[in-house]
Amino acid sequence: MKYGQIFLAISVTLLGAGCSSIERSRNLADPQVSAATLAQQVCSLCHGIDGNSVSPIFPRLAGQVPEYLVAQLENFKSHQRSDPPGYEYMWGLTRNLTDEQIKGLAEYFSKQQPISNATVDAQQMAAGKVIFENGVPEKEAAPCMACHGPNAQGLAMFPRLAGQHQDYLVKQLHVFQETEGRPGTPMKQITHLLSDQEMEAVASYLQAFPATP
Amino acid sequence: MIFPIRNFFLRKCLTLRSGYLALVALGSLLLPMQSQAVPAFARQTGQNCVACHAGGQFPELTPYGRLFKLTGYTIGTRTVPLSVMGVVTSSSIANAPAGTAKSSEPIFATSSLFIAGKITDNIGTFTQITYDPYAVDNGDGSFSGHTNADNIDIRFADHVVADKQDWIYGVSLNNHPSVTDPWNTVAAWTQYVPVPSPSSSQFIDGTAPFPDFPWDDNVAGVNAYVYWNRTIYADVGMYRTADRAFSFLSAGINPRLQLSGSNPYWRVALSREWGPHNLMVGTSGMVANVYDDPTDISDPATVSQYRSQGFDAQYQYLLDPHTVTAQLAYMKTEHIYSDAVNETLTNPGFSDTNTTTRAKLTYTYQAKYGGSVSAFNMTGTTNNQSDPSTSGMTYEAFFIPKQNVRIGAQYTTYNTYQGASSNYDGAGRNASDNNSMFLYVWFAY
Repeated sequence: MKYGQIFLAISVTLLGAGCSSIERSRNLADPQVSAATLAQQVCSLCHGIDGNSVSPIFPRLAGQVPEYLVAQLENFKSHQRSDPPGYEYMWGLTRNLTDEQIKGLAEYFSKQQPISNATVDAQQMAAGKVIFENGVPEKEAAPCMACHGPNAQGLAMFPRLAGQHQDYLVKQLHVFQETEGRPGTPMKQITHLLSDQEMEAVASYLQAFPATP
Repeated sequence: MIFPIRNFFLRKCLTLRSGYLALVALGSLLLPMQSQAVPAFARQTGQNCVACHAGGQFPELTPYGRLFKLTGYTIGTRTVPLSVMGVVTSSSIANAPAGTAKSSEPIFATSSLFIAGKITDNIGTFTQITYDPYAVDNGDGSFSGHTNADNIDIRFADHVVADKQDWIYGVSLNNHPSVTDPWNTVAAWTQYVPVPSPSSSQFIDGTAPFPDFPWDDNVAGVNAYVYWNRTIYADVGMYRTADRAFSFLSAGINPRLQLSGSNPYWRVALSREWGPHNLMVGTSGMVANVYDDPTDISDPATVSQYRSQGFDAQYQYLLDPHTVTAQLAYMKTEHIYSDAVNETLTNPGFSDTNTTTRAKLTYTYQAKYGGSVSAFNMTGTTNNQSDPSTSGMTYEAFFIPKQNVRIGAQYTTYNTYQGASSNYDGAGRNASDNNSMFLYVWFAY
């Protein structure tokens, strides 16, 4: 029967399998594949080869705090982080990563150079700057810079926000405010009274933040 | 996916293997649908369908989906590379021709088995085997089913990343020109899916003209392609008859199409991504030498030549909750009649050229609710063929309740059909008599 030939043809191609190189592997379940290879072969497809993603669906990772990246990858792997893009894209990709690969991926992207993001509306940006520096005290929202750094560059476990996509930040702020998709951070308390306009404003300020080392 | 009228006329009937149909139907219904139950590629990567398919509406690809295909379907963890797909449909024609057997009747219209996924770190495949329960109209109200090889793409690919340089390249063994392409505006992918056979749905959009290679049936091709810096894509292939060692590429097609010699295909595209947008403009073409009679390849004077040249463009806006796609495809094919046919022509020495254009705009919301509107227009010279002009519109609304189920309605209207708006067949039938409502439930596992 001719369909057997289809299976035969596929089997025959296995004979050519000797040409593969572990330095260019896209296998996400092989502990031998280095983190740099995974970053280049898989992560870069959405996040950019240098972590400066083009589409706001995918957060920029360049210059990100390595401890924060480790925590996110572990949270995707354990399903503790379950925001929609998280489970749609990241659960599957992280399910077999080793601790060493996770650490290596965090190091790879934390060492990348962030570049400036697109400009935003000046008025919105000005309103966002006020929130970033002063918080919104009447809504119990602390100043972002207290934890994320005066240049939004990140501190300790708190992520870098400078240059991050506005749309991504707004969506994550809503995840914190309205869902249990990202437990275990102070963000739920901080966002719980913020309005849509306040979220858009501070996110726009962060997107347009000048790239600093 | 498939199969316009040409496949239907080229096939002989085979007796339905009812066990296969039952197995597919039972398998689809009884296999437990886990909370993350997804077809083979999704099982390999662990990702949702939306990662690769724009707004969840397969087969249209996102930029990441294109890269998944171009790197040989090798991202992720090798798993059992099997999936099944089935479509239940009901078609209603405004003025059904006498003898239309399946008008307004729900039927299990088509199903496919996919062998799809990673074989090694550099080799992967998209292989589709399709069963059509209505492949042949027996003329007595009954139909004979048929199974055949559908799209097959087996490729070796690699991705080299250097400072400021990004090269994806590969080689594909496949059975349709342009099936290797990652955009959905080329001949093999521009069809309005799902597409059951003409026997079961005669005038739906899937059987209306679309910019393709008009002679196309399963053939055997080897392509080489490269995608540089996610900006320039080039793909060249040579196609021959799918016989002898390559006969599995045309399995179930009898008689198979006979090409003469090696027939070149080419495709070049420029693409750019910025923010949530991406845009591609491209061109493709082919020169194909086809035997007039697939059962007789003894005489080179019975070889016709088809010279095709196309242009296509696609724009996508992808940012939750919205997905917007605009597509434009154009193909012009000159049919140079064989010497043998030439002697019998009204105007010997003259070829005929058909030009087909399609434009389509699609929107989906939350990868759940969506719709599209499209226009098609085919015109042609009438040196030695009757006027083929056919034009119309298709309107579609669909609902994706779970990521592997799509429920939809397509309404196709005809302004002209085979040369005229009214009385196109000389017996009083108008183009608008073919207006069709097509309802479908499409599921995959």
